Amino acid sequence: MREAIIRLRYRYWPDHWLGEILSKRWTETAIPVFVLLIVGFWLSQSIHNFLSLASLADTARQACEIGFISLGMALVVIVGGIDLSVGSMFALTDFCALFTLDVLGWPVPLVAAATVVCGMLLGAVNGILIGYLRLRAFITTLITLIIYRSAFDLLIQRYSNDIAAAFPDFPSWDFVGNGTVLGVPSVAILYIAVAIFGHIFLTRLRPGWHVTAIGGSRRSAYNSGVAVRRTIALCYVASGALTAVGALFFAARLGTVGGDIGVGLEITVLTATVLGGITLGGGRGSVAKSLVGTLIVLLIINGLTTLNARGGVNRIVLAGILLTAAIVDIRWLKNRSRIISKVYVSPTYLALPEPPATEIGGGGPFEQNDKLRSVSLIGLGRIEAPEDVILDRHDNLYAGSRHGDIIRFFPPDYERMEVFAHIGGQPLGMAFDRKDNLYVCIGGMGLYRIAPDGKVEKATDETNRSLYSVNDDSRLRLADDLDITDSGLVFFSEATVRYEMDEWPIDGLEARGNGRIICYDTNTGKTHTVLRGLKFPNGICVASDGQSILFAETWGCSVKRYWFDGPKKGAVETVIDNLPGYPDNINLASDGNYWLAVVGMRSPALDLAWKMPSFRLRMAKRVPGDEWLFPNINTGCVVKFNEAGKILESYWDLKGVNHPMITSMREHRGYLYLGGIANNRIGRYKLERANPNFVQYEKRWGKQ
Amino acid sequence: MFGVLREFAQGFLGRGDATITVPSFDGALKPNQALERAETLLQCEAPEELASNGAGVYFADGTSLSRIEGNGAITIREFDRPITALACLPGGAVAVALDGREVRIYANPAAAKPRVTFEGASMRSVNALASARSDALYATDGSATHDVAEWAFDLMERGRSGRALRLDLNTGKISVLAQGLHYAFGACAMGDTALISESWRHRLISVAPNGASKAVLTNLPVYPSRLSPASGGGWWLTAFIARTQLVEFVLRETAYRKRMMAEIDPEYWIVPRLSSGKSFKEPMQGAHLKTMGVVKPWAPPRSYGLVIRLDAACKPMFSLHSRVDGTNHGIVSAIESGGWLYMIAKGPGRVLRLPIEGLAKEFGV
Repeated sequence: MREAIIRLRYRYWPDHWLGEILSKRWTETAIPVFVLLIVGFWLSQSIHNFLSLASLADTARQACEIGFISLGMALVVIVGGIDLSVGSMFALTDFCALFTLDVLGWPVPLVAAATVVCGMLLGAVNGILIGYLRLRAFITTLITLIIYRSAFDLLIQRYSNDIAAAFPDFPSWDFVGNGTVLGVPSVAILYIAVAIFGHIFLTRLRPGWHVTAIGGSRRSAYNSGVAVRRTIALCYVASGALTAVGALFFAARLGTVGGDIGVGLEITVLTATVLGGITLGGGRGSVAKSLVGTLIVLLIINGLTTLNARGGVNRIVLAGILLTAAIVDIRWLKNRSRIISKVYVSPTYLALPEPPATEIGGGGPFEQNDKLRSVSLIGLGRIEAPEDVILDRHDNLYAGSRHGDIIRFFPPDYERMEVFAHIGGQPLGMAFDRKDNLYVCIGGMGLYRIAPDGKVEKATDETNRSLYSVNDDSRLRLADDLDITDSGLVFFSEATVRYEMDEWPIDGLEARGNGRIICYDTNTGKTHTVLRGLKFPNGICVASDGQSILFAETWGCSVKRYWFDGPKKGAVETVIDNLPGYPDNINLASDGNYWLAVVGMRSPALDLAWKMPSFRLRMAKRVPGDEWLFPNINTGCVVKFNEAGKILESYWDLKGVNHPMITSMREHRGYLYLGGIANNRIGRYKLERANPNFVQYEKRWGKQ
Repeated sequence: MFGVLREFAQGFLGRGDATITVPSFDGALKPNQALERAETLLQCEAPEELASNGAGVYFADGTSLSRIEGNGAITIREFDRPITALACLPGGAVAVALDGREVRIYANPAAAKPRVTFEGASMRSVNALASARSDALYATDGSATHDVAEWAFDLMERGRSGRALRLDLNTGKISVLAQGLHYAFGACAMGDTALISESWRHRLISVAPNGASKAVLTNLPVYPSRLSPASGGGWWLTAFIARTQLVEFVLRETAYRKRMMAEIDPEYWIVPRLSSGKSFKEPMQGAHLKTMGVVKPWAPPRSYGLVIRLDAACKPMFSLHSRVDGTNHGIVSAIESGGWLYMIAKGPGRVLRLPIEGLAKEFGV
């Protein structure tokens, strides 16, 4: 009963989503949004008419004016700087707008252009000092803050009366200040347009990536060839321009040049930026964060004002929020990856029946023997991690190595070897196509093709993204083994979509169906996912009927068949169930049966742990990886099975001296060649009663 | 109340008793492969304990008591039950514990009839004997619930029913020196007090005649077992198994532990063993993965071989190891005789011998 509840809970409750959602960048925006909702709810409860249309429109105008400045600030902060002079620039550009309009009597479009250019010039001063002359952003903008403010004070002494005396009456100016389109304030429309562009700019365009890259690591960006100085300078120019846009709308709305305009604005904007989740250190931030931060700050200021809080209280609250947000931001940045790694691993329930007997004297097809003791060794100490081995028509032996090479051994004694091709990732499963191209699954990279002359080409490294997957699973993480059908379809397994290749033990700890089988069509070059939710799918072999593939599910301890063609197209059927070990590669045998490598054996302690997910979860958190309970892959065997899934015989190395681990085997001219991903050798075993002329790819594709 | 709260907080935060950290082999315990180069004197079925009276070395192998002669052994006598502890007493007498339940004293190893027989006192797993001052014998009774051979059950049940006993040879009286020990395995006289190995708490304690006990060596990375005096003061301390974080973790996982004990053959439990690597059904841990044909010696030990030389203040001076990639594991007894250190590696069933001279210089810190 208890077991049944556990089983159902782990089958239907997607534990693994929590970690996947948390590792998304947008969850960092979710927290400020949550704060915004709370603040909004609080104010709507405590202030009458807070949610009325007029009140909202008024809030929106203010929000957008500050929002422009916040966008500029966001940009500067993301690039790794800070702009304290926004308040003074705001005042100066406000003055510029009103002066050109009221005193000089320029037309409205020209006024707008002049204001923006003025802002850009003011920003350019910061930009040149900080970007090109490499001054500190903080001190530079603090100085310009004072200079601009003084300039503003001098100017309004001279012109404030002129400005105050004028009553401009232009419909277009009023539209800028108070107009609406379909009930939406004009300023909001422009803000939305700028925000959308800003989002696309930061996330999709090259200059935007440069900005983020510089903020993340200035030196790396420089080394990668990014024009660091120019980009930084332009960010300050943009900040000035955006401030000017905000000031323009402000000027049109209120039309005043009071002495306190823009005083303390930098604190408001900075609070909004940090509160939105834009990290002060640079490199992280988005438009959405800036918007959310602005809204929160504005709601709080307006709320406090409406609630008759004094000006000093207002400032103290803002400063308090800034401090809190900065602390949270720093702590989160520091611990984010640790938190995610703690919740990302999510073991699930997997119950396997009692395994068949393997003991000597126990009978049955899995009874241990010492047949593989007489194996001879190829490349001992010279090849490392040959996961798969394959032989071509000319008896050459190929194997991958962990250095990212495909090694070729030459017959007849396989003493001489050379690097056939260098790929760079760990080569796993291999198969020849009709034209003797070697297709190789590369862990972490995808499916590659090596021409007979050694030329390496990428076949595919992505597939269609799943609809219901939180993680982006379009890239291939761990392409594992493959086989090619007569019509040129390459079926290959991807063992897990949640972990990288070196993290396979974590996938074993989870024991969830994280893997899939993918089909790459050599005729069209298209890739699509065929089967999902498989427990570490591994070996793949096209069955003799030419209409189905056999595939091994390593953690499922089973071999299954999938029909890609024929009357049963699309169906999946279990061929072998409840193996005593973890199946790996499958290949053809000369007598029409199949070879199956069993990479490791099941241990009762792990079988039990697989039924207790919470035990494994705690183990993952508390016990270091080197001490985790692992699938025992120090002992393996090779078995032969027939089309119906009956085990015919098994080959063991009892002492595990020569071949502690077997991940693959390939029959060729009366010999069985053995590979193992943790081995430094390839085994060669003389088969009795085997066809001495059997060459797998001559049988598949015919003689040439 | 406070204790309960503290236990809960520790369990929640993973601190105090709830930590699964294991001290590293460091300082005087720095690993070496000294035991791997020891000479294998004998290969036997079930060697249990060695004892020496200065003239000869006796050892218990299953039900038989033998004496080492040259490079072989002569069987002196057979018992009807397995010997679980052996000690030589002053004056040529020997003490044997049979099946953990009975202790017999013979005036000499070949004597037909026992001089004294101790029975009862609910002795269940007497696993070590040592002569004490004034015609008495110290004995450790590992567990009240499990036989000597079933120590792994006691560990997994977090047994705390071990006792230290004092057997009076003149009166035949058994008195309990200490009880509620977390598996007592190994005793030696230290002046008037008894030095006792409390295995599951990874420490040595000294127990005074009035029962007052005091920890003298704590936080060992291993489970200490039998002790014997060393020439020049101090002791040889054996450690029959070593701690791993996985076992410490399982010891705190009650649900898993109970199901494991109920459903799985003890050979394949997550528990330290005297030898390992015999079957692929044994639990494998991450670092056990054989890479490029090599087993890492630093992998968490399912079985381990260790003898620690303690000085007169019970501080480790140096240690002799057989690491994970070795075979001489499960050292349950080590005694010094004639310049040699004789040891029993119960894992492979061997009696080992190593010259003592030079060990301190080579491995001392």
